[in-house]
Amino acid sequence: MARKASPARLVIALSVAAVLAVFLLYTSIAGGGNPSIAPSELAGRTGTVQLAGLVVGPVTGDAHAGGLRFRLRDIGGESATRVPVRYMGSVPDLFKAGRHIVLDGRLRNGIFVAEPGSMITKCPSKYAPKRSGDSA
Amino acid sequence: MAELGRAALVVTLGLTTYALIAGAAAAHLGRRRLALSAQNALIAAFCSTLVASGVLLAALLRHDFSFTYVARTTSEALPTAYTISAFWGGQEGSLLLWLLVLTGFGALAVRLNRGWARDLIVWVVPVFGAVAVFFSFLVVVVASPFAVQPAPADGAGMNPSLQNPYMLAHPPLLYLGYVGLTVPFAFAIAALLSGRTDERWLVATRRWTLVAWTALGIGQLVGAHWAYVEVGWGGYYAWDPVENAALMPWLAATAFLHSVMIQEKRGMLRVWNVLLVILAFSLSLFGTFLTRSGVVNSIHSFTQSSIGPWFLAFIALTVTVSLALLFRRLPQLRSPTRLESPISREAAFLYNNLLLLALCLTILWGVVYPLLSEAVRGEAVVLGRSYFDFFLRVFGLPLLLLMGIGPLIAWRKASLRSLVTTFRWPTTVALATGVLLLALGAGSSVPGLVTYTFSAFVVATIVMEFARGTRARKALGAESWPGAFQSLISRNRRRYGGYVVHAAIVLLAIGIAGSSAFDSVAEAKLRPGESMDVGKYTLAYRSLDERQVENATEIRATLAVSRGDRDLGTLKAGKNAYTIEQQVSNEVGIRSDRLTGEDLFVIAEQIDPDGAVYFRVFVKPLVNLIWIAGLVFVLGSAIALWPDAREQRRLVARASEVGVPATR
Repeated sequence: MARKASPARLVIALSVAAVLAVFLLYTSIAGGGNPSIAPSELAGRTGTVQLAGLVVGPVTGDAHAGGLRFRLRDIGGESATRVPVRYMGSVPDLFKAGRHIVLDGRLRNGIFVAEPGSMITKCPSKYAPKRSGDSA
Repeated sequence: MAELGRAALVVTLGLTTYALIAGAAAAHLGRRRLALSAQNALIAAFCSTLVASGVLLAALLRHDFSFTYVARTTSEALPTAYTISAFWGGQEGSLLLWLLVLTGFGALAVRLNRGWARDLIVWVVPVFGAVAVFFSFLVVVVASPFAVQPAPADGAGMNPSLQNPYMLAHPPLLYLGYVGLTVPFAFAIAALLSGRTDERWLVATRRWTLVAWTALGIGQLVGAHWAYVEVGWGGYYAWDPVENAALMPWLAATAFLHSVMIQEKRGMLRVWNVLLVILAFSLSLFGTFLTRSGVVNSIHSFTQSSIGPWFLAFIALTVTVSLALLFRRLPQLRSPTRLESPISREAAFLYNNLLLLALCLTILWGVVYPLLSEAVRGEAVVLGRSYFDFFLRVFGLPLLLLMGIGPLIAWRKASLRSLVTTFRWPTTVALATGVLLLALGAGSSVPGLVTYTFSAFVVATIVMEFARGTRARKALGAESWPGAFQSLISRNRRRYGGYVVHAAIVLLAIGIAGSSAFDSVAEAKLRPGESMDVGKYTLAYRSLDERQVENATEIRATLAVSRGDRDLGTLKAGKNAYTIEQQVSNEVGIRSDRLTGEDLFVIAEQIDPDGAVYFRVFVKPLVNLIWIAGLVFVLGSAIALWPDAREQRRLVARASEVGVPATR
């Protein structure tokens, strides 16, 4: 250190840095955070994951009674994997077949059981063009 | 027409390149006439950008679908106001808006300051030039708003969720904020380049920073309100990366606004302030990058495109060059004064800065964590809401407390006795509030209770400050109490405007704590005639109506609301099904209690063909304080921003005084 810093300042800075480092380590290693994966990577996983995929119809069932059922596939790529999903809780406005969604949950007996209310749909691109049939 | 727009932008690119190169040469060689011509080039660049913007605006208003941009973002039937908002709705248009505001701010800042800070301004011009070259390069080469195509019969139209009055205010406010942060950045870098590292760059940019910061803050609140009333999931902030992108530079700018005062008054924290400005500017670039590149999963997904790498490169360049410059000037930035005690106003401001920065950086960490973990572990890990909530409490609550301590504690070194006298009453008020709330049952959420206790403390200090100041003015000869109050504020707008902003932050904290820590929620499937209870409210589902409007089918459930045996009227909640867009949107029902600031928030989640509706109902106490906080925030900023020649003179005088070392 070239300059003579005030000891008080140094102590403050170091202690804050230390506290911060501890918190970050704690949360990022021990604590929160779920791996975010695609449907094709799901097989064999037992823990809670965040699954991002594209909704494949038909969509059946009731999200508030027994659960909504549909399948998810990878958003891009060639994979033919279709993961069956059961979901309870609020369904965002934009949910429908063909949309990109994100869910938290885990695989149970071959079905991805989502945590209630965890569904997030991605807004369609800001200016989604109308389907080709509509435009002149 | 498109040729004119494109040509104007090429001219802008040429002029900004000239401002960069000629400006740098002039500053380096000390050529006054060349410097003047570079300044004029910057001003002319604003004019040519204005022409380009005019062309785009005219094309939008004329529904000229031969412009690819116009065809992609609007349609014949779109109302005029939303047609105008399409200017910043798409990527190319928003980059043009960036450039317009940037050159406008640059031209204005140069004109306003070239009289008294000439040797600084000669370096400000090339810095502005450099940033403007980047943006004009983008709109000329990478993402031109003036691409043309054979005109289709009608445009693609605007997403229904964007056809909303908030679209007129939220994005431009954020842009004003993002771009506004360029001004302090340019002056700071100019100070480093020129070696004029005294406090003048701070004096020149104080108002700019404040304006940018206010716009950014209000822009976010408007966005939060938009999410709350329109998106309809019952919240207003979701720690989404795109939301965080605006919050991070705001936090850095907040830290800067505070530490500036320490530098102005005591000549300390010089390096720190330059660092904060660099950070705030880089974060505003990073925010734009995040929004536009789609590198992280966000519920906002904008048109993704190839500008991502350009932005990343520019951010890297900005950070590297700025830090290298800072390092070179370190010896000149040595502070003439030192921190004397860890219990003093300087220290309190320093703690405030560290906490704000810690909060900002933890959010940044949370935002980039998926990318980092993917790079390191080969698997993207997403940090959820709990991560952000946790750190908001850990860093935010001490910040709230410091808001009461910082402005009152003595400079240099506070004695124990002075601490006791100053904080006796606020502490008493806070403890009394805490005990009272505990007795009323607020102990159900410890963070909530702590927030309220700290808020009471801060409010007490603010009231005390105003009362004491007004009394002093009265004693000094003001005729009336209101007169004394007014004279108090006008004599130190910055200080009392600051207190008003603090009051706004307290309101915000109370609103957030009330609506997140003490809310209640209930959900049930009801048939017509059935009812449900939530909190103290009873909702009876009466009927379901369907109505055809121009482009949508509106379905509304009517609920009769009562509290105890008081009838509170009816509330409607339902869905709109948009015919053309094949899209459904929730239309929530909100009943605000004017007296208590409490909201009853009803979502009709699922509407069955047989008329049964699945309702989700929230009671959100005090949530309206968040929106009131926005108004108070604007008021406080306006007070602090109000032109005040006396204060400006004082600052200039003090700046030159502090600039001379060894006087203390």
